[in-house]
Amino acid sequence: MVAASTLLGVAVDGLAFGVFLALLGVGITLVFGLGEVLNLAIGTFAVMAVLVATVVVESGMGLVVAGVAALVAVAAFGLVVDRTILSLVYRSEGEERILLGIFTTLGLTVFLDGVLINYFPSRYTLPLNVGTVSVGGATLTGGSLIIITVGAVVLAILFGFLRGTFLGKATRTVFQDERGARLVGVNPRRIRTLIFVLSAAVAGLGGLVFAAGSAVAVANGFQFTTFALIISIVGGVRSLVGAVTAGVLLGLVNQFANFFVGSYIATIILFVTAIVVLLARPEAIS
Amino acid sequence: MSARPSLGTEARNVAVVAVLFALAPLAVLGSSYYESVLAHLLLIALLAVALNIVFGHTDQLFLFVGGLAGVGAYGTALLADALSVSAWVTLPVAALVCGLIGLLVSYVAAKRKFTVVLISILTLNLQLVFSEVFVGARDLTGGSTGFPYEYFELGVVADALGVGEKLVLYYLVLLLLVATLGVYLRLVHSKYGVAFDAIREDEIAAESIGIDVVRYKTIAGFVAAFLIGLVGAFFARESGYILPGGFTFLAVDVVVLIVLVVGGLRTTLGPIVGAIIVVGIEEFLSSAQSLQSWQSAIFGALLIVLFLYFRRGVVRSVRDALDDAGLVGEREGGGGGGGTDADGGR
Repeated sequence: MVAASTLLGVAVDGLAFGVFLALLGVGITLVFGLGEVLNLAIGTFAVMAVLVATVVVESGMGLVVAGVAALVAVAAFGLVVDRTILSLVYRSEGEERILLGIFTTLGLTVFLDGVLINYFPSRYTLPLNVGTVSVGGATLTGGSLIIITVGAVVLAILFGFLRGTFLGKATRTVFQDERGARLVGVNPRRIRTLIFVLSAAVAGLGGLVFAAGSAVAVANGFQFTTFALIISIVGGVRSLVGAVTAGVLLGLVNQFANFFVGSYIATIILFVTAIVVLLARPEAIS
Repeated sequence: MSARPSLGTEARNVAVVAVLFALAPLAVLGSSYYESVLAHLLLIALLAVALNIVFGHTDQLFLFVGGLAGVGAYGTALLADALSVSAWVTLPVAALVCGLIGLLVSYVAAKRKFTVVLISILTLNLQLVFSEVFVGARDLTGGSTGFPYEYFELGVVADALGVGEKLVLYYLVLLLLVATLGVYLRLVHSKYGVAFDAIREDEIAAESIGIDVVRYKTIAGFVAAFLIGLVGAFFARESGYILPGGFTFLAVDVVVLIVLVVGGLRTTLGPIVGAIIVVGIEEFLSSAQSLQSWQSAIFGALLIVLFLYFRRGVVRSVRDALDDAGLVGEREGGGGGGGTDADGGR
C-alpha cells in the first residue's frame, strides 16, 4: 500500500510534467490551428532555450535573467524561421502545404540537431535549488510547485491575450475563418508570424520548465516534438483548452505510470494513448 | 495523369542497372569496406522502392519504415532463436507480420478516410512505440546494447564460390532488388497502376467508377510493409550487429525520404539514383574529417532545400532534359509538368 502523502508527491510532480507537456502542446496547436503547419521542430526550439539559458548561467548571470534571455533568443529564432522557411511553405495551399510543412520542419530538426550537437555535446540542467516543501505530511518538490505556478500564470496570460486584446481577437478570427478575417482588415500572414514567434517562446518556456528538473540533451529535441504531437492529438489539434487539458492529464498519467510500472511502459502508454485517440476520432485533427 | 515510359523501356533500364551493379564490386575488388557501402546502398534503395509504392503511388505517408524494418530484423532473429530454426525459415514469417501491420494500418486508414497527415502521424506514433519496445524489452532485444546478428548462413555459398560472405550478401541483396523492381514494374503497368493513379488523382471519382479504394490502398500497404520487413533483416545482417538506434525515425525514415524525393517519386529508377546520390554524399561527408561532425546538419539543410525547390527528382529532370535534347524518343505525358508534382493529387 502506497501512502497518500507519497501519491500527493507523485501528483504534484505529474502536474509539473503536465505543465511542460501543455506548453509544448499549446505551441504546436497554435501554429497548426492558424497556418496548417505542423511544426516538427518545436521540440528543438525547447532544447535551444535550455542551451541559451545554460550559456547565460555559465557566464555568471542569475536563473531568471537566463530564462528571459533564452525566451527572447528562441522567439527571435522563431521569427527568422517564419520569415524564411515558412514564407515559402505558405505559398502552397491545402494538403500540399501541410506536407511541405511537415517535411521542411523535419529537415529543420535534423539540421538544428546536427548544428547544436557540435557545440553542446553533453546534458544540461537548470536546477532551481529550492529544496522540498512539507505539506500535511507530504514532501513536495519545490521545483515542481514553482513550475506549476509559472506555467499556470503564463497560460493564463496567453488565454487572456487571445480572449481580451484586439490582436488576440484578430488571431481567433483567422483561426475560424481566414477569408472573413481578411475582409475585416486583418492580415493573416502578420498574425501567423506573431503566433509562430509566440509558439516558439511558449515551447522555449516548456524546455526551461523541463530542464528545471531533469537534464536535457540535444537528442531530446525530437522526443519533445513527439510529446507535443501526442498532446495536440489527444487535445484535438485546434483546441488550446484541449491541449492544456490533455497535457495536464497525460502528465499525471505518465507520472503515476512511471511510479507504478516504470518509465518504459509509461512512455509506451503515452504513444498508445495518442494512437487510440487518433483512431477513435480522427476528425479532431484533420 | 503522368504516362510512364513503356514497360519494355523500363525493363531494359532495370536490366542495365542490374548489370552495372553486378559489375560494381569488380571496381572495388576485395575491399570489404566498399562492398559494405554498396550493399548498404542497395538496401536503402530497396526501402525507398517500398516507400515509393505506398507513399508515391497511393499517398499513404508511412513514417514507420525504420520501425517496420526493426520488427523484421528483431522478429527474424528472436523467432529463430526461440524455435532453434534457421533464420531463413523465420524471415518470411517476420516479413509477413510486418506486411500485416502495414495492411492493418492501411485498411483502418482507408476505411476511416485518413488524410495523408493523419496517416503520417499515426505511423510516426507506431514507430515510436516500436522504438521504445526495442530499447525497453531488454530481456529479448538486449536493450540499447543490442546483440551480434549472425544469421542467414552464407558461408556454404561463399566457400563453394571462394569469395567472401560480404560479397555473397551483396549479390543476394542485388537479386532481391531486381526481383522487387520486377514486381514493381508489373504492378504499376497493370490495372493496379491504373487504379493507383486514379485514386491519387481523385479518390471519390475513382470510387465512383468502381475502383475499390480501400482494397488497393491496403494491398499497397501490405506489399510495402512486407518488403520493408524483409529488407530490415538484411540490414541488420549487413552490419553484423543489431541496435535499436539503427531503426529509429531519424536514422532510417529521414534518409529514405530524402532518397526517394531526390531520385524521384513514382519513378522506377528514382530510388536507386537517389540512393547512389545520398549514400555517396554520406560517404563523402564521413570520409572528409573536417565535415564529419557536420554530416547531420548538412543532411537537414539538404532535406529543406530539396522539398522546397526540387520535388520533381533527378530521374524526371534528367528524362525531361534528354527529351528536350531529342535524345530519347519517348515522351512523358503532360501530367509531369510543374514543380509541384511530388505530393501527388489530393
